[in-house]
Amino acid sequence: MAGIARLLQGPRPYIGVVALLLLAPILVVVSAPLHAPATEWTYVRTHILPAYLGETLRLIALAGTLAIVFGTSTAWLVSACDFPGRRFFRWALVLPLALPTYISAITFAALFGPTGLLSDRLRAALGVDIDILGPDGLAIVFALMLFPYVYLPARAAFSAGMSDVLEAAKLLGAGARRRAFRVAFPLARPAIAGGVLLVCMEVLNDYGAVQYYGVHTLTAGIFRSWGGLYDVGSALRLAGVLLLVVLALALGQRLLKRGGLRTAEGRALRRVRLSGWRAAGATTWCGLLVLFAFALPIGSLLGDTLATWNAAAIADLARPVVNTLYVGTWAAAITLVVAVAFAFAQRMGYGGLTRPASIGYVVPGAVIAIGVMGLAGPLAARTGWVLIGSLTLVIYAFSVRFLALAGQPLQAGLSQQPRMLDEAAHLLGASPVRTFLRVNLPLLRPSLLAAAAIVLIEVVKELPLTLILRPFNFETLSTRVFDMARIEQWREAAPPALLIVACGLVPVLLLERWMERR
Amino acid sequence: MRRTPAIALPLLLLTACGAPEAQRTTPPGADSAVVNVYTHRHYDTDKQLFARFTQETGIRVNVISAGDDELLSRLEAEGANTPADLVITADAGRLGLAKQRGFLKPVKSAVLDANVPAHLRDPEGNWYGFTMRARVIAYDKTKVKPEEVRTYDDLTKPRFKGKVLARSSENVYNQSLVAAMIAHDGPEKTTAWCKGVVANFARDPKGSDTDQLLAIGEGLGEVAIANSYYIGKLLTSDDPARQKAKGLIGVSFPDLSGHGTHVNVSGAGVVKYTKNEANAVKLLEFLSSDEAQRLFAEGNMEFPAKPGVPVAAVLQGFGPFTADTLDLSQLGLHNADAVKVLGAAGWR
Repeated sequence: MAGIARLLQGPRPYIGVVALLLLAPILVVVSAPLHAPATEWTYVRTHILPAYLGETLRLIALAGTLAIVFGTSTAWLVSACDFPGRRFFRWALVLPLALPTYISAITFAALFGPTGLLSDRLRAALGVDIDILGPDGLAIVFALMLFPYVYLPARAAFSAGMSDVLEAAKLLGAGARRRAFRVAFPLARPAIAGGVLLVCMEVLNDYGAVQYYGVHTLTAGIFRSWGGLYDVGSALRLAGVLLLVVLALALGQRLLKRGGLRTAEGRALRRVRLSGWRAAGATTWCGLLVLFAFALPIGSLLGDTLATWNAAAIADLARPVVNTLYVGTWAAAITLVVAVAFAFAQRMGYGGLTRPASIGYVVPGAVIAIGVMGLAGPLAARTGWVLIGSLTLVIYAFSVRFLALAGQPLQAGLSQQPRMLDEAAHLLGASPVRTFLRVNLPLLRPSLLAAAAIVLIEVVKELPLTLILRPFNFETLSTRVFDMARIEQWREAAPPALLIVACGLVPVLLLERWMERR
Repeated sequence: MRRTPAIALPLLLLTACGAPEAQRTTPPGADSAVVNVYTHRHYDTDKQLFARFTQETGIRVNVISAGDDELLSRLEAEGANTPADLVITADAGRLGLAKQRGFLKPVKSAVLDANVPAHLRDPEGNWYGFTMRARVIAYDKTKVKPEEVRTYDDLTKPRFKGKVLARSSENVYNQSLVAAMIAHDGPEKTTAWCKGVVANFARDPKGSDTDQLLAIGEGLGEVAIANSYYIGKLLTSDDPARQKAKGLIGVSFPDLSGHGTHVNVSGAGVVKYTKNEANAVKLLEFLSSDEAQRLFAEGNMEFPAKPGVPVAAVLQGFGPFTADTLDLSQLGLHNADAVKVLGAAGWR
């Protein structure tokens, strides 16, 4: 360890180089007005941009609000109350994260769309028309799929360090509702805001679901410019606007972060036992969320898998499973190493370059791919070093895209380690790197696990980057789903979709456990 | 290193499994018995055909499938270093674009000239179409008489107020239909047509082509714009959710201002920087052969490009049709205009 530490002496330049490397594809996108002519920009600016931007903002507002409601309410219930099924719901509420949004969205459409299976039954039984295919329906679907991003941090905030304050509020005579709305929720605001930001980013970069639901988001506009108007330049400019939206959201989140409660350790909340209709209500609410966000889509996928059971086709999925896990593990490992280095830099106070490097998470995968190819293409032309079509480039692109996800738990974990630890190590003569490796890092282990898990979950679900950058004959579970879904063979897409969920379940549950310990 | 992080174990295991097959065996080099294909088609028929081709010629087919715009962007970024020999797309507009951007090279082949009719290929041989799909009108047989849907213009008539179903204008099939109209009738008349259709919509455009057909099954509309092979697939499907629509749907091959029914092609062109040109041409010729054309028709319900190859039985039931013989490169030239016209007409 000491040897490694000596090798890494003065890590500042290395970290700067890595940060630049990860930022480079984004810079290609952002600098598009300088190098990519946009013949249709006048049209895009006047006809596409305003309308699509408006619809985007409306969608994230609605989906974000619903995600807050779903995530915070359930987090509060499982942390502060006792009711039948609480222990089960505590982890089951995380499960929707294992489902890729585009798969859930299509499954929901098959159930609650205008010609959906359940819409059909409801129409026959009650005479009501249900049509989830539309902007509002999509917001609901997104909120159902993504609320765990709010649930997890909110739950962590409720279970750590809030018990004393809440006890005090109780002694001062605040009722249960008042304690929740006036004390606990405001104190958890930073955690909730961080979660909502993730929800919004996921919504912003989705393409499959918005296209299917006929919703005009900026990402849909990017593809309309690219594929419809044959104008990559305008598409990249729209991606730049998308980044501005995210920047605004991130700023907002920072503002909300102020005034949050910061404590390292705390006792768990003393739970209030609910009874009667309150208990029934709590169980029903959590149950409905798990049912709609996880059980229904999974049931539907299972049904389709059984209906089209074909042993040969399933056996054929072995290779894609290995490929998916292979790429996922490497991407998680490398992203993690980078995220750790960046977390170190930020701890040392020179994280300047590392912060913008994590904006890749919001850019639609296909656009990152343009950025990545925009770098790799000229590189190959100059040096003959052909990277496009290598797994190296795929994994690099994943790091660009998912760095932010890995960074979040690490920073959260580090911020809980008192500075006194570092100072003590320094006083004993340890270098900053050695201190980080021997003191901070071991303490960070649960966060590391969470970061690896979250990247793994996302890579398993990821589609566009793999699709565009992959080597010949390289198939993952996502590309298999896509092959079937693109030609509208939804039922045949079910087995690989189920396997994606299966691959995602382990890291999802790991993540849940980590949040538990926090 | 007393306690290894938990993540190290799966990592080690996977690394021990070795790199996935694709990475080790991709041979982009010249003169080997391979042909490297970028394709936008994801059909099982294509996989079967590639396997047949390898069997017959000993030439291995390596495939990357992705969206056509993405594939073209990749070709552009790779430039002279591209390993691709052949690019296959499901849209003539994109093939025209690829030619215009200089990604393709013209090839000559007597076999291709004999098999692919002139209007389904590039005059200079940059690309060749091998299957057609028609943009047709599906209608509810119990409510609509065939003579009510003889032309695309019929969709704008008051008769179909609140009855027309279509997917969104983000979709290339709608874009290329409108591009063909612009090529024939000019943008003004086409805009009027789009507005007429929008005024008759039963609902906001959403979902896939198949969803429009299912909506007919639910009585949510009476006529839908859809691709012929989706209808073929629906009519041969055993999916219980598709049975109601199956019994109701009739198909009309509508006329576009006297030119016939709008068709688009799936086609392929040899990449400019190919290192296996002979193999690529061989694969193209194979795709236009009777054997391949029959499989496209039967397995995938597409209309074979080669004259004389029979259409799938289920589509034969809808009678013969006249395909528009518009020079297909026109589709690419007018695609951007089509997007604008669709936008101006309020076709979401």
